[in-house]
Amino acid sequence: MITQTGGVLDLFELDQRIAEQLSEVSLSSSIQVRCGNSNAFMVTASTMIPLMQMFEMGGVYICATRGAVEIIEAFETIGIDVSNIQFIDLVSSGILGGTDVQYSNITFIDSPIMLESVLLRTLYRLRIANTERNFVLIDSVNSLAIYNEEKMLAEYLHTFINTFRQREVLTVILNVPDQVPPSVLSNLDLYCTDLIDRGQVVIH
Amino acid sequence: MDEILRGGIPYGSTVLAAGTCGSGKTTLGMEFLVRGALAGEACAHFTATEPSVKLLENIRQYAFFDMNMIDSGLINVFDMDVLYSWLGLDKASFDLEDVHALIKAIVDIVNTIGVTRLVIDSVTTLCYKIKSEQLIRDFLFTLGKKLATLGCTTILISEITSASENAHWSSFGVEEAIADGIIVMGDVERMGHLLRFLQVVKMRGTSHSRAKHSIELTPLGVMLTPMLKWGAVNDNTNRWGA
Amino acid sequence: MNKQIKFDSEDEDFFGSVGSFGVPKFDNAMHGGVPRGFLVVGFTEVGSGSELFAKQFTSPAEEPDNTILISTDESQLEIARVFKKYNWPTDIAVRTLGEEYNARVLEKELLASRYRLEGFKLPDIQRLAQTRFVDDDTQDFLTEMTNEVMAMGPYFRAVIDSLDFFMQREDPGRVVAMLRMMQAHTQLNRGILFITVSNDTITPAVKQEMAAIADMVCDFKVRTIGSDFETSMIVSKFRNAPENLSIMVYRVTPEEGITPETVERIA
Repeated sequence: MITQTGGVLDLFELDQRIAEQLSEVSLSSSIQVRCGNSNAFMVTASTMIPLMQMFEMGGVYICATRGAVEIIEAFETIGIDVSNIQFIDLVSSGILGGTDVQYSNITFIDSPIMLESVLLRTLYRLRIANTERNFVLIDSVNSLAIYNEEKMLAEYLHTFINTFRQREVLTVILNVPDQVPPSVLSNLDLYCTDLIDRGQVVIH
Repeated sequence: MDEILRGGIPYGSTVLAAGTCGSGKTTLGMEFLVRGALAGEACAHFTATEPSVKLLENIRQYAFFDMNMIDSGLINVFDMDVLYSWLGLDKASFDLEDVHALIKAIVDIVNTIGVTRLVIDSVTTLCYKIKSEQLIRDFLFTLGKKLATLGCTTILISEITSASENAHWSSFGVEEAIADGIIVMGDVERMGHLLRFLQVVKMRGTSHSRAKHSIELTPLGVMLTPMLKWGAVNDNTNRWGA
Repeated sequence: MNKQIKFDSEDEDFFGSVGSFGVPKFDNAMHGGVPRGFLVVGFTEVGSGSELFAKQFTSPAEEPDNTILISTDESQLEIARVFKKYNWPTDIAVRTLGEEYNARVLEKELLASRYRLEGFKLPDIQRLAQTRFVDDDTQDFLTEMTNEVMAMGPYFRAVIDSLDFFMQREDPGRVVAMLRMMQAHTQLNRGILFITVSNDTITPAVKQEMAAIADMVCDFKVRTIGSDFETSMIVSKFRNAPENLSIMVYRVTPEEGITPETVERIA
């Protein structure tokens, strides 16, 4: 796949090893996906695309880092249609005019501190989804940590993971590990069943 | 809700759903009736706060609601204004005779069509016309007793100004005592944002959860999840200065 | 509003510039009758015979379908009986607002009483569940009355007996405002409008205001002389014809109805 960023043509290559790791998890798994600042989209796409295409899953993408429109357009740029993915956008409500968008698969929540609302909206979206198998992706814990206290975030992630595990919905939690509060990170290590670690970018 | 109540509301109970404005009381009440209608129960909704035309228009957006339930008579929506007019009660305040006439009319309706689920929205608005506090107490007590005798499960929606821990759930000092159950609905303020909550304070005959739950009013109905415990450190329910 | 109405020359010839009071001797006293376009206001007393006079005023009925009697106190049956008695035309329009009001209000009260005593039956409940709006029985009879008059065509004849019904239920200012509208319509259409109102139901200020609007003002008086009653009509205003101001004593006869007396009583 070829994408253009900043006027420079780059080669976009998925990390196939992530797809291999994903084939070993079950629907009730919760995956901690670690990435770096520079490879976040690549890791996200490498996780989501196999889920959508290989495993024919639908899902909910919780956008706490960037607005949903930006994510959708990024996927479209690399030729991936995400119209059957529901986006819960926690960011755009804080931007004037940010919610005036044309996409029907975006739900807006006023703020990343309304964690319970995020959970409920996700549950609602999953209930009306027409796919049998679904995932939920949080992008990312780091962004949620900006707005929420450590203990509250830890409690939330615990509830979040358990809720979807019970419902056999695959949970994917994105984080840049060296920027997440240690207690949250250690809780993630405790709750999550699987780890995909691309936290350090290898420079050739 | 059934999970929180460990099964549901016991048959024949009178439940007070006390909430601040915009907390989702009407939606909860309507969903209670719709779920009953889906199970084939005869249901009735007495609306005093909102004209039935507006109520039905607003409730249409919810996927759980089907207008056929109204058309087929499974759910009967009555405007209190119209009922008052039919009983010759279009006046500023009610006396003892008027109150008894109102109780009789409601009980008649419940009895005649075999209503097993009833919502009165809101009992606060209804009682504004009853000037004496003693008469209000008599009204609520008598109504609750008669409906319970008929095996009708009733939700009395009550409007309160504050849902904090120290607030009173009764506008007239008596509802809490006569009700078999109390469900409180309100908002918590978390760093400037409002989150709706619901909490079951009392429900006779059940070992209900007493946790505070966050609620969302979705097209599928009311959805609940327990509120984050650590969130309570920052949450503020004293929004209206009560 | 400079609305002009084109009158047929045939109509002008037929109707002329004046219309009858319905009492020939009054016509003579007023040098012909009531000028077309006049609003006549009668301030009445109990027992002065103003109700009979109002009915008699409709009796000329030059165009029966353009003549209306609006009564607020009597029933259709009662009015028909009086018209028959004096052989007045019965093919005019008669609207009994009082009867309509009583029927609606009393009927509603009766129904409410039944519901309270006997309770609701299933058909009642089904109807109640389908009724989304309160049936507003507090109909605006004042507007209805005004509309009846405003709907009359050129050279109409209308009588309203009496405004007491409205004065007791509405803001007098609103009643006077409607009176102005009717006066303007009467003038524009060369109609004749006669309205009665009891002295006891209006304040002096309202009476003055109504007198100012009216083209002709009659005061219906009754007094006792010895063991007899004397009824009289005082014409206290006649626009542009002060020579018509007079006091006319009248009585009621079975043949003519109200008729002025030609014999002067000496107290």
